[in-house]
Amino acid sequence: MMKKVLAMLLASAMVVSMTACGGNSNSDTTEPAAEDGSAEAPAEDAAPAEDADAEVPAASGDTYKAALLLNGTLGDKSFYDSANEGLTRLRDELGADVFDFKVEQMGGTAADESKWEPTLLDYCDSGEYDVIIMGTWQMADPLAKAAEQYPDQKFMFFDEQFDFAGNGDPQNIYNILYKQNEVSYLVGAAAAMMTTDETIEGIDPSTKKIGFLGGMDNAVINDFLKGYEQGAKDVDPEIEVQVSWVGDFVDSTKGKDLALAQYQNGVDVGYNVAGNAGLGQIEAAGDTNLYAFGVDSDQASLLPDYAKNIPTSALKNVGNSLYRAIKMDLDGSLTYGTTEVLGFAEGGVELVKDAHYEEMLPENIRTALDEMEQKIISGEIVVDTAIER
Amino acid sequence: MLQSLLSPDFFNAILRATTPILFAALASSVASKSGITNMALEGIMLFSALFGVIFSAMTGHWAAGLLLTMVAGGLIGLLLAFFVLNLKTDEILAAIAINLMATGGTVLLMLAVSGDRGSSTSIASVSAPRLVIPVIDKIPFLGQILSGQNLMTWLSILAVVVMHLFLYKTPLGLKIRAVGENKNAAESVGISARKIQYIALILSGLLASMGGFFLSGGYMNMFTKDMSAGKGYIALAASAMGGDTPVGGFLVSLLFGAAQALANMMQLTDIPHELIQMVPYLTTLIGLGIYSYAGLKKRQKLAGK
Repeated sequence: MMKKVLAMLLASAMVVSMTACGGNSNSDTTEPAAEDGSAEAPAEDAAPAEDADAEVPAASGDTYKAALLLNGTLGDKSFYDSANEGLTRLRDELGADVFDFKVEQMGGTAADESKWEPTLLDYCDSGEYDVIIMGTWQMADPLAKAAEQYPDQKFMFFDEQFDFAGNGDPQNIYNILYKQNEVSYLVGAAAAMMTTDETIEGIDPSTKKIGFLGGMDNAVINDFLKGYEQGAKDVDPEIEVQVSWVGDFVDSTKGKDLALAQYQNGVDVGYNVAGNAGLGQIEAAGDTNLYAFGVDSDQASLLPDYAKNIPTSALKNVGNSLYRAIKMDLDGSLTYGTTEVLGFAEGGVELVKDAHYEEMLPENIRTALDEMEQKIISGEIVVDTAIER
Repeated sequence: MLQSLLSPDFFNAILRATTPILFAALASSVASKSGITNMALEGIMLFSALFGVIFSAMTGHWAAGLLLTMVAGGLIGLLLAFFVLNLKTDEILAAIAINLMATGGTVLLMLAVSGDRGSSTSIASVSAPRLVIPVIDKIPFLGQILSGQNLMTWLSILAVVVMHLFLYKTPLGLKIRAVGENKNAAESVGISARKIQYIALILSGLLASMGGFFLSGGYMNMFTKDMSAGKGYIALAASAMGGDTPVGGFLVSLLFGAAQALANMMQLTDIPHELIQMVPYLTTLIGLGIYSYAGLKKRQKLAGK
């Protein structure tokens, strides 16, 4: 009796946590958007490119087909939506008979983890896809296994370093990383300029302190921090960057307390790189009428109540990077078996520059930021990194 | 640093950090007094944090939201009681199931209600207000601490008094303690142990849900995924260290809150943050050590020397 009940209870718990992530999985196959006939025209142009890429295994027909495997779901308003947007944009541009893709939402909870590897292997086995795309550190191990088992299948892997040397140097993976340090450099510079600008509401120009709220002390977050600090010090070497760590990416109340302590200690502008815990910093900025920069998604538009506290957000543009990679693959200029780190020059990272940004930051700061961005692109400014590449 | 420690802001931070732990510690103490470890506090808090946002947005008033959240919390307590008492499920396993269900279930519910997965930003919830006490708020320093606290903080302190009176001065409280002390002895004098434990677990759910409500409706003003972040477990420790009494739980919760606030403040210094993040746990260990040492002395004394 007891065992039965327990089993039922655990089973229902699993079901609930699984459905939480599979909620939208009915949209597995994204409908081809370009059905209106505009698709025919570019088909001819891309056909030779298809031939040039003779290594592509079992491509069905002439269409370059990609599968986007998400260890999460669409609707995250961040990486996964961005990836989907980039591929959709490419399909709209080239037409569905030149490039098409399918999204598989595998779910992102612990209960879903056991599905990731089998799903990936299924996709490899089908042989239908020219390239299989996935990202984040959690997919690194399943990918290593799949790449070894299916040496003819091509993969793209974003937002986590793939250990080529440690996995027998597979030549069928193209690895995309983002220069979060470059975009953070601009955020640091903007924060440094803001904290001494008395024309901005609520700023106390006498304290030269800016804040940084990190989730966990790891290489990627430190890369954000390094760029942020360098950007701030390049504007004014006297700027003090106060760094606090939440210790995880979920405890938003702790994030809020840490940020409040910073703001009460003379910090005017902060930068949250702490996942959901970072929302605590944004609330703290709201409570104290000060400022916090957003990260990973356009937080000013996502959090309208706090938009007045979020000057702008730093983004990794996963969509752009996939768009670029597939275009390169189509014309044969993409080298598999390598890692590329994309910064401003390649459109891999960006600072949101919309009307809200123009409203929040005075023109002199915006001009200075544009100049810095150009200097980063031209190589005049080299941003330090915390990641060995 | 010292200046920051003596500022009213620091004391406010302590009270803020104490409140959710205190509610949950009280919840744990009433369950423990009836002889059941309520390990589902974490899940109940997480569920309640989301319910608080949804219910306060639906009703448009924080108090109505709080009441409905407490009803929901009581129902989860009832569910736990049903599994443990009627179906004889292991209390720890049933609690783990509830906690796991909360992690996924809250995201599912949030998705269904708002279409968001990470946080409830698009739900227009109403938080419990801050209580500004006229006249007193003019007193320097003390006024800044006494006035302007969130109402839930005061409610948590009030709950300590109420729970103390309830457990030690009412017949029902006596019955709860009797069942927890010795179930068979209590039943031999005509107390239905099952009924009493049902009541205790429902009460426990009610109290924990108040802590959960505060997380998203006072501490923060939105629900974020997994925001309880282990506070339910910390509260279990606080309650146990406080001897499962409301007053003891209050003092230990305050100690934990202070340790957390101190750690947050210390991050502004040059001390490595890895060390600082140990402070709350170190406090727990030291506190537990002192507590068991005192208990040992007491027992030795009772043993006649």
